[in-house]
Amino acid sequence: MELFLQRCFDGMFNGAIYASLALAIVMIYRSTGLLNFAQGEMAMMSGYVALVLLSAPGSAGFGFSLNGTEWAQEWVPFHPWPVWVAILGGVVFGGLLGAAVERFIMRPLEGKSTLSQVNVTIGMLILLNGLTLWIWGPFARSFPSPFPNEINDFVSIGGARLRHTTIGVWIVLLVVIVGLGFLLQNTKTGLAFRAITSNRDGAALVGVPVGRTLTIGWAIAAGIGALSAALVGGTIVLEPLTMIKILIYALAAATIGGLDSPLGAIVGGFIVGLAQALAPGYLGIPTELSLLPPLAAMVLALVLRPHGLFGTVPVSRV
Amino acid sequence: MTALQKVPADLSEPPDAQERSRWFWPGWMLLALVIVIPPLIAEPLDLNKLSRLVVLVLAVLGVNLLTGYTGLISLGHGVFVGVGAFTMANLIDQGMSLFVAGFLATVFSGIIGLVLGLPALRVRGLYLALITFGFALAFPPFARRLGSWTGGVTGRTVVNDAFVPPSFLGLDDHVHVWRYGCCIAVVALWFLIARNLIDSRIGRAMRTIRDDEAAAATFGINVRALKAGVLAISAAMAGTAGVLQAILNPYVSHGDFDAFLSLRLYAAAVLGGLGTLVGAIFGVVALIAVPAFNGAVGLIDNEAVVFGAGLILVTFVAPAGIAGLFHRKSGNTPAA
Repeated sequence: MELFLQRCFDGMFNGAIYASLALAIVMIYRSTGLLNFAQGEMAMMSGYVALVLLSAPGSAGFGFSLNGTEWAQEWVPFHPWPVWVAILGGVVFGGLLGAAVERFIMRPLEGKSTLSQVNVTIGMLILLNGLTLWIWGPFARSFPSPFPNEINDFVSIGGARLRHTTIGVWIVLLVVIVGLGFLLQNTKTGLAFRAITSNRDGAALVGVPVGRTLTIGWAIAAGIGALSAALVGGTIVLEPLTMIKILIYALAAATIGGLDSPLGAIVGGFIVGLAQALAPGYLGIPTELSLLPPLAAMVLALVLRPHGLFGTVPVSRV
Repeated sequence: MTALQKVPADLSEPPDAQERSRWFWPGWMLLALVIVIPPLIAEPLDLNKLSRLVVLVLAVLGVNLLTGYTGLISLGHGVFVGVGAFTMANLIDQGMSLFVAGFLATVFSGIIGLVLGLPALRVRGLYLALITFGFALAFPPFARRLGSWTGGVTGRTVVNDAFVPPSFLGLDDHVHVWRYGCCIAVVALWFLIARNLIDSRIGRAMRTIRDDEAAAATFGINVRALKAGVLAISAAMAGTAGVLQAILNPYVSHGDFDAFLSLRLYAAAVLGGLGTLVGAIFGVVALIAVPAFNGAVGLIDNEAVVFGAGLILVTFVAPAGIAGLFHRKSGNTPAA
């Protein structure tokens, strides 16, 4: 029981990370019908930017200097920043990146086929991964945890350790969900965003500024995604391959929950996290194959409920 | 003679001749030169490298058939190349002849493609891309675990002693030329199959699915079965690429088939030109040219950056890829 609880807690830590990236993917899918394969890499760049912002020159990584820290030392006021401020900086960077991508890459492709839009996101996936590797090298970097992460920082529940970092990540996710809900329900931009989601042409006809709203939507989605890269700190090291794996977990989460359902993204994230944490222990799947349980869950979801737990079944007319 | 007997000028030529661009004959001649010259001048080692690239054309052609003609996205064709290569290595161990082993490995890759893709093909949309991408990431660690089949962490050697010219050809001193020729022949055979396929009724059905799936179903096309069939053929092509790679370079390892191979294959198919057969060749030319260009210029020493940027650029500048630049008629290519 103790072990079971422990595994659940570990799984739900990862689950929260997957949920936040899945939430970003779902937001963009809902509003534009586009699956953004570059979401993970956009988040990873933001994570590295946050790392640059919080590291004094020569201090980050395991003995490898981090490019950009000297530059930041010279140009960024009060550098190195405290970890929370740096994460906020990373999120802002992610938001700007998302807005720029929408404005300068996706919007000119409006009206083109889905295939060419997807091709562009795959291109961005390759490009951003290459850029990260090029700028910061293949080394694993330790990202300091924004929460108390000493050996004794845990709450004991039924003998299992619920670490403060885990609680912290849950709180952040909760804040994001509440904030996003408030934004969508109580602001004019949120109303415009929901209008575009439900009927884009109609929204444009009644004067909703579609382009501007979508730019804001992409920025918010990329910001939420960026959080996922910053929050893995303390448990997983940051390296150029980190986010491509988390992207697959997030895509699995979004598929399981339903690609157009934010609630589904969050539930799916926790399902994937739990599947990944419980399967090695109880099904005897070795940890290096931890990709398999989420994939199996995704296949199962596609077989049993093709449009996800909370997704809507699309209707098409000829 | 009455006017009725007169054949209209535009029907006097075979139908496909009308679609030929003015690059048709120059292109064929150039292709022939490009194929014939290397074995005459290249060192054995370089020719072997070239053969391995020629073989990649098959994998790119597989992606092209799937994405360019049927509108399905696979981000996991590297997996099928890997399955083909590992299966080949193991079938040779069983004492099969190269031909039989290669055929069986190809069929097996096709079946694996079908099995992996079937759940995703039930639903319309990008699910195939999702799921194949997942398998592309999961394949290397999975192959690492299956030690007896793949040689585990270190990889395994392939017995390719039988891959030598028959003695009556008198090519005993030019093994590499023979191997190169074999690769060209197999690639040409697959191209022939692909061309006949896309010119047939099935090919028209594929393009209809690509352009409008609901309409295709209305016309009585069995959308699900056709998608599954195309996926199997496409995976089998990639499998053949793996088969040839295994006997060209008698060492296969899980590391050769990582997710970035799959992404590179997809990028090559898009860069070369989706929905045209010649696009697969251009795609592999891009695969060769990009690193060579990097080496020469030395400005951007990162292939991924160039490929990613190229993929984005080509969507804006030349939506039909490199092949599209030579095509006056673009009716055959997917709507941009």
